[in-house]
Amino acid sequence: MKKHALALLLALLLLLAPALSAGCAPDGGDGETSPTPDEAGQTPAGSVEGAAEKDKIVIGGVRSQSGVYALFDETAFGPIYRMWAGEVNADGGIYVEEYGKKLPVELIIYDDKSEMDTMTRLYEKLILEDKVDLLLPPVSTAALFAAAQIANQHDYLLIGAEGAAVSIKENIESYPGFFCTLNFSDTQVPALTEVLTEGGIESAFIVYIEDLHGMEYSQAAVPAFEAAGIEIKGNVSVPPDIGDMTPIINSAKNSGAQAFLMFAYPDQNFLAVSQAKELGYNPDVFFIGSGGSFDSCKLALGGDEGVEGIMTWGAWNEKSSDAAAEFAERFREFNAGDDTVFADWWGHLPYYVSVQVLQQAIERAGTLDNKVLREYIAENKFDTVMGEAWFENHMLAAECYLGNVGQWQNGVYEVIDVGGNRTAEPVIPKSAWK
Amino acid sequence: MGNPGLRLDMKKSVPFAIVAAALAAVAFLPRFASAYSVVFCSSVIMYAALSLSYAMFSGPTGYVSLATAAFFGVGIYTSAFFGKSLPLPALMIAGGVFSSVIAFAVGAITLRLRGVYFTIFTFGLVELLKHFVLWTETTFAGTRGRTVASFGSVTVFYCMLALLTALLLAAFLLRRSRVGKALSAIGESEDAAAHIGINTTAVKLLAFSLSSFAMGAAGAVMATRWAYIDPGIAFNSLMSFMPALMAIFGGTDRLLGPVAGAIVFAALEEQLITRFPSLYMIIFGAIMIAAILFMPSGVTGLIRRRPAKRKEDVPVGDS
Repeated sequence: MKKHALALLLALLLLLAPALSAGCAPDGGDGETSPTPDEAGQTPAGSVEGAAEKDKIVIGGVRSQSGVYALFDETAFGPIYRMWAGEVNADGGIYVEEYGKKLPVELIIYDDKSEMDTMTRLYEKLILEDKVDLLLPPVSTAALFAAAQIANQHDYLLIGAEGAAVSIKENIESYPGFFCTLNFSDTQVPALTEVLTEGGIESAFIVYIEDLHGMEYSQAAVPAFEAAGIEIKGNVSVPPDIGDMTPIINSAKNSGAQAFLMFAYPDQNFLAVSQAKELGYNPDVFFIGSGGSFDSCKLALGGDEGVEGIMTWGAWNEKSSDAAAEFAERFREFNAGDDTVFADWWGHLPYYVSVQVLQQAIERAGTLDNKVLREYIAENKFDTVMGEAWFENHMLAAECYLGNVGQWQNGVYEVIDVGGNRTAEPVIPKSAWK
Repeated sequence: MGNPGLRLDMKKSVPFAIVAAALAAVAFLPRFASAYSVVFCSSVIMYAALSLSYAMFSGPTGYVSLATAAFFGVGIYTSAFFGKSLPLPALMIAGGVFSSVIAFAVGAITLRLRGVYFTIFTFGLVELLKHFVLWTETTFAGTRGRTVASFGSVTVFYCMLALLTALLLAAFLLRRSRVGKALSAIGESEDAAAHIGINTTAVKLLAFSLSSFAMGAAGAVMATRWAYIDPGIAFNSLMSFMPALMAIFGGTDRLLGPVAGAIVFAALEEQLITRFPSLYMIIFGAIMIAAILFMPSGVTGLIRRRPAKRKEDVPVGDS
């Protein structure tokens, strides 16, 4: 027994030896991943190696590959940054003028287990120990807030992907290197209100998840709807771990509201759809939030027929523009054969814009210096899959988006915003569930 | 009689000196080690403090408490509320005091519960506080999360180190005090302890409040590194399980057991999650199972088992 135990302890120590030695290596030590700081003693991003030896751009990110947010790295920004890195490297890399050559991209992605302490610590590891050139954002709004602060402390640039919130704008001034590309409530709620009023909707029942995302959409929707003359017949919050929506669906049904709106995440949204079908609840408008724009939601909700008429946040599709169609085609080709990756008709375009902006800023500014890049990004316009794109107060300008509200029609995700972005007329009232 | 007593003191002062020297050496870390080492060590020290405070109460009494995350979360919210107006050491103390007060109030009602009932209650406490904070925040403040002021990684490091040092001292003194002996007696047999005149509820309450002080203080310090918190982040039940596992892994019989457990666990986690992310949980779980099977008294129990036996066999004066 003791022999086993001692052997186990020895094996453990062996496993730990590199951890302890790496953890205690001084700055600029001999560790494999501890590059030497420059002569000025500074360790600006982009100084992984001397200019002469620089042979790659190292980009680091802490992503939730396990835990509650794992779905987002699997389906949202995850497929996008992997596709982009693959494309860049197939093309020989990104041309960086200060090094006079194309440099391929190397990704260092750590898993934070969807946990805050691990996330913040691993960003510090990426910056201080791995000395990556550039950062990729973490998953979720809360994690973005925290990562933005760390990036800011070390003068790194951080362009957000999943997650964004109006409340982030309150602090945006203190994070000069932080940019957001995803559209959220302040552009989407007005667009939805227009669609509902145009469709003759006069009453609504709102259900929202008790978190930053849900509260923000609810707080934006209630005054916007009321101002547009839509009566709020219910505004109910649900916890993230809700397992039965029956009482809520029933009270929505009894309220007689014309529109049912669910501002939550895929788990709760899909549950609401399934239980509404079971209870025979089919209001004129059935709206769900995050997850509804994923092609994969058809798998969960019964194919093209199962999602028919559902409205969600978005929005873009292949009819939006030639660039969008070409992007959708490339995405399909890149992921051909992988039946776990699906298109997201809300986020995929803005996420791809975030890496395109990064790449174009490097190519045009000719440097990997994050301070120069952030100035360049704040002041310039970029040619992207969404057309010309630029930032206003660190947020992608509202005019850049190809849509804010979508509806599933005959298996196609249609953009139904009032105005020029519309790819199909909204169907209100929606047809009966199938 | 004086001679063996002197030898005993000498014997005891050697590990004491080693621990003091180790803490002093760690204090110089920011001077010679890399900036990331300081960040990493702050996390290790946090886990050490949490698992040591867990072991302070649960070790001798055998009461498995899963309330660590609740008190840690109270500390986090202390920093979220007062972080912009108080210095970090004051936040740390405030976090500790708030946690102790809550622990005292909760303990006074629940420490009459025993065994699995107590464990389930403490686990429920984390959820209760999470939802209570969520409700008050959404109802009265109209928000879900809060930003937390930052104090820099070196300040965080020194505050955590000071906390661990104070905690080690407190745990050391507690073990040797009448309360410490009473706690051990409760662990052996609570009924017998009550029969010999120990006010078991009062003793448990004291130890529970004391251990929760460190949990709250650690939460208050670590929150400043996270920039943004919400009830889900602050009251994360993982923070209840990790310190308990670390303490079991290191061994709760010895003072330094939980600290050793935390160091090994945290270093192991760092290695596995960055080098073998997909195998992380499998390897982690396998090691935990093996440790419980082969090292029931933890790492420190294994190392010190032989000398301890010899001491029992051989009369003190003869060695």
